[in-house]
Amino acid sequence: MNEFHLTEDQQDCLQELINIAMGQASDQLARYLDTFVYLKVPSIESVEASELMITLSQRKNTIAVVSQGFFGYEGIRGESLLIYQEEDSGRIADLLGYEPDELSQDEQLIDISSILTTTFLNVFAQQIDNQLSYNAPKLLPNVQEILSEHLQQMPFTWNLALKVNINYQVTDYSFNCNMIILIPETAITNIKYVLDRVLEEF
Amino acid sequence: MSNNKLFTTPIDANVPVVNELVFEQINSQITDQLNTGVLVLDADFNIVLWNRFLQVHTDKITDNIIGKSIFTAFPELPQRWLSRKLSSVLQLNTPSFCSWQQRHHLFELPHTRPITTDSEFMAQNCTFLPIESDTRDRHICILIEDVTDACHYQMQLQKTLAEIAQISRIDGLTQIYNRRHWQDSLEQEYAKARRHDKKLSLIMLDLDHFKLLNDNYGHQGGDMVLIEVSALISALLRVEDTFGRYGGEEFAIILPETDSAGAMELAHRICRVIATTPLTYNSQVINVTVSLGVAQLSCNESNYEELITQADSALYQAKSQGRNQVCSAPELVS
Repeated sequence: MNEFHLTEDQQDCLQELINIAMGQASDQLARYLDTFVYLKVPSIESVEASELMITLSQRKNTIAVVSQGFFGYEGIRGESLLIYQEEDSGRIADLLGYEPDELSQDEQLIDISSILTTTFLNVFAQQIDNQLSYNAPKLLPNVQEILSEHLQQMPFTWNLALKVNINYQVTDYSFNCNMIILIPETAITNIKYVLDRVLEEF
Repeated sequence: MSNNKLFTTPIDANVPVVNELVFEQINSQITDQLNTGVLVLDADFNIVLWNRFLQVHTDKITDNIIGKSIFTAFPELPQRWLSRKLSSVLQLNTPSFCSWQQRHHLFELPHTRPITTDSEFMAQNCTFLPIESDTRDRHICILIEDVTDACHYQMQLQKTLAEIAQISRIDGLTQIYNRRHWQDSLEQEYAKARRHDKKLSLIMLDLDHFKLLNDNYGHQGGDMVLIEVSALISALLRVEDTFGRYGGEEFAIILPETDSAGAMELAHRICRVIATTPLTYNSQVINVTVSLGVAQLSCNESNYEELITQADSALYQAKSQGRNQVCSAPELVS
């Protein structure tokens, strides 16, 4: 237990905010994708940096990671990582409503990642009266070797990461990916402050 | 609600720092001085605003742009894909991005580095931002950044890295694989053959009396022979075979999914072709021969080095039996 750990109340509050955000985001997505989207309740866990490194390096069939930075008021900032397994990425073009030959596999992954990240985080930001800006999403090259290197070379040190497992199932095909939101130490302090304020307002 | 925070400082202060008109003038001048293209569309994708950057770079007349559909004003845009992207900005109220790494450019704008770059158009990073206003109208702001330089240097770097990677694998004289790359390949093929229980054979070969060749025709004559022999052998191989220069005048061939009968057949063909193809150097005809040793992977070897040893001892046998011939490593009985 250290100063970056969330209290039980803060943890519950964050979970609730994320649930709401995910619900609204998936509703928007379903309308945008113009298809029935079945969304499981997102599983959310906060993981420590060291733990995350081990989990990620154990995944053998990761084919792509798309990273996107975000930043908002009150020192809320971080980076989202969307992680795709080999079997996840077959029909993203269909899901997005593109013709497969209109864009490369890389661009499909980047597009869907950006939509998932920004839709979710925008709604989340609204919940806490904030507004986020985003960096352009980036596909990390040579995922296998690069992921742990990338995590070590982040422009900030981070101790806590929020892992949000998103599982979308669409009628004709399934689509899965993991979203991991990395939050730097300083931003955690700010989030705790915001969570306390939200708790007070209840 | 949260949108207003953008303007918190000038609006919330009781005494405005500058009046609204001056504020507007500052904003519009910044927009026009920006080294970034700014294009604002309404919800039907008609252009409502553009900045000076685009005006200068497109060389189009404002009257032909404002009020027109973006797809009429810029017919080069991929309509179906971009419409879908623009819709996502409006519907999801989220920004969207397009990087030169996936699409070199969206708008066909000339760039300012015409000589050194390989595309005639400016490489671009585009950002699509949802814009909310007091009225219910929704707009999209497109920011177009010139990243021609970054793109150019990145391409140069990639080209150089690919060249370096290629050079590090190739033997400078014969242009076939060097020993290091050949050995790496063997290590991989060995692992693959073991994992999938596939056949794997090896041919080691050596030019006969090479020292004599060097003495008679000089080192340049010897070099020519190495180059010609490499080319003759390369022409006899399949794409999946890996041919490398193992040492001075020693060569080695990895034959995936090939048994010793197949490898022997190829070794005999190589032996025959080299012996019957006269080479010419300084209008002198040189006849060369090679000796070859063949080994097939069996259950006995516990690493790829042992396979080399097998082929090498077969090669030694071919040499001691009089050269210009093929020998196969004896099948060891376990």
